[in-house]
Amino acid sequence: MAALQKLNAGIIVLFLTIISLIVIYPLLYVIASAFTPGNSIADMPIVPFTSGFTLDNFTHLFNNTNYPLWFMNTLQVAVATSIGTMFVASLGAYTFSRFRFAFKKTFMVSMLVLQVFPSFIGMIAIFVILFRFGLLDNLWGLVLVYLAGNTPFNTWLMKSYLDTIPRSMDEAARIDGASHLRTFLTIIMPMAKPIIIFLLITSFTGPWMDFILPQMVLRSPANHTLAMGLFSFITDRRNDFTTFAAGSIIIAVPFVVFFVATQKMLITSLGAGAVKE
Amino acid sequence: MRAISSNSAKANINKRFTILLAVIVMGLAHIVVFKQYTKGILFALCHVAFFVFLPTIVNNFAGLITLGEPQPDLHILLRDNSLFLLMDGMLTIAFVALFVGVYVISVRNALKLQAEFDNTGRMPTTKGFFAELATGSFPIVALLPTVLLILFFVVVPLIFAASVAFTNYSSPHNIPPNNVIDWVGLDNFRFMFGGNALWAGALGRVIIWTLAWAALATFTCYVGGFFMAVVMNNAKMRIAPFFRAILILPYAVPGVISLMVWSNMLNGAFGVVNRTLIQLGIISTGIPWLTDVWLARFMTVAINLWVGFPYFMLLVTGTMTAISQDIYEAAKIDGASTFQTTRRITLPLVLYQTTPLIIMSFNHNINNFGAIFFLTGGGPTMPDSVTTSAGGTDILVSWIFNLTVNLQQFHYASVLAVMIFVAIAPFAIFNFMQTKSFKEGDV
Repeated sequence: MAALQKLNAGIIVLFLTIISLIVIYPLLYVIASAFTPGNSIADMPIVPFTSGFTLDNFTHLFNNTNYPLWFMNTLQVAVATSIGTMFVASLGAYTFSRFRFAFKKTFMVSMLVLQVFPSFIGMIAIFVILFRFGLLDNLWGLVLVYLAGNTPFNTWLMKSYLDTIPRSMDEAARIDGASHLRTFLTIIMPMAKPIIIFLLITSFTGPWMDFILPQMVLRSPANHTLAMGLFSFITDRRNDFTTFAAGSIIIAVPFVVFFVATQKMLITSLGAGAVKE
Repeated sequence: MRAISSNSAKANINKRFTILLAVIVMGLAHIVVFKQYTKGILFALCHVAFFVFLPTIVNNFAGLITLGEPQPDLHILLRDNSLFLLMDGMLTIAFVALFVGVYVISVRNALKLQAEFDNTGRMPTTKGFFAELATGSFPIVALLPTVLLILFFVVVPLIFAASVAFTNYSSPHNIPPNNVIDWVGLDNFRFMFGGNALWAGALGRVIIWTLAWAALATFTCYVGGFFMAVVMNNAKMRIAPFFRAILILPYAVPGVISLMVWSNMLNGAFGVVNRTLIQLGIISTGIPWLTDVWLARFMTVAINLWVGFPYFMLLVTGTMTAISQDIYEAAKIDGASTFQTTRRITLPLVLYQTTPLIIMSFNHNINNFGAIFFLTGGGPTMPDSVTTSAGGTDILVSWIFNLTVNLQQFHYASVLAVMIFVAIAPFAIFNFMQTKSFKEGDV
């Protein structure tokens, strides 16, 4: 029995090793490319890290490209989208969770139906609207579009969380004479901290790698975002894979560290989200 | 007795008067009857603004119907721009809808005040304007950002996109501001659904592939994620956390980066995968990973599995921790094997919990532009690709992108957008009907 268990464990380790190698292979390859001399992917050795080591790709990235600018633009959009989503979604969720009013059900159902459409189905329209509002080629215009796209789903998510907070909490505050706004800010928001953090994180990560919307909305090079910049390194005309790799791992490393560090919390949040749906 | 009846008669007249005032000009009842000046004046200003802009509103509606006249003699910037006329018409409808909303709110509010007066016989206490905003009108104020954002950046664009499907907005003859566009009824739908064999063929191919892709992508990721979650759960060894950290990596790395890397690695001529296989002597010429139609389709699903399984692995792990250990204990005592407990306990329970997320994932994959665009770019080219710009792995959304950006056939792109709407809406509504809050009637 013990021998069988050992064999079983051996098979599992072997299996996990194979899967891990498949998972690691392309990632290792990007990391290696970032530190390898040369430009094109055709120059790269087939075994990673075997043709020299250099930091040239990183110096090139920071000195000869607009990478820092793209980074700051994207950071601005991500922070604004994240904070904006938190406020709009939590205000909406609080209202849906605690108030009764006309057309509430219609409103909520239409939000749920609307949230399944990617914003770029209406991209011609978004282009024209932003042009009409004078927000074309403007980072804030992009933020508005993201915000609108994030709102329905996150409002629903937050509403189902707020439903689990006992109403007696806010009723007590109301009896003590607090206004709705005050109750919301001082009672509800602190109690909804886990979902708010989850919401802040998920809406912060979105803009970093979105390509299609910025590509359409932002025209001048001064407003380009990271995904646009990185993609421009490896178009058909240019194959600057090593610079792309260097730029990519600078973004990917914080993401990876963060996700691996918080995987316990992610598991609980995702599990909880599923149960509450 | 008499006193009571005369009293109620007085209240009746008063009520009619209130309603009359409230309906004629909104806010008037607030000012005249209830002396709530700030609120009343704000409502009244809304109404005045509506009358001031009435000519513009009528004008914009007319523009929406005609979409402008051709004016070849005028300078290009002075001609009617149909696109703007269409958008302004849509925005005007949105604003009028908002106005109607405010109107309904004002009348309801006046009626509420009246009811309060009828019940108590006293004038409703006038709170300060800001106190009122923070308490009584809180739902309206709190939902305003949501309403405005969704109206202008989700609803209007979707309706706009849908209505373009009924126009001839396309290159080369109907591109504003050079030329105007016109309403053409159902012509585009007739064209796409059989009017033109080439386009109808491409449409059929893309729709079938979109559905097949979404089903396969969701199924493979779910099965892969479930399997890995079960394996990790049973792997009670010391290095298990190490494997878990590695397996989560594809979820942590931004998807666009992974897809662009895979796309380069699988390149037929200089990709590292082919070069490695040739060096090892396994193959003599490169495998056309992304240039052979069926192989490219297979690779989109395979690479999507690489990108997507960790999400479901985390999800299933999270759901599994919520299952009571007692059930497993009981099964173990009865002599059930690991395979049996997985098959009979874990699978049904997890499946039940995660069904809504599976449907959401299916919808997400129907719209998964990135997974196609960054890996294959929609290619390889098909016999009809020159005309239709639909490649072998193109799904509806990536075809929309090609039609808009490369061919400027906006009208056909919009027909596809309507198709996506028709394809997705049932799933979204079904998913909603499965939610707890809907079933319990507490929405």
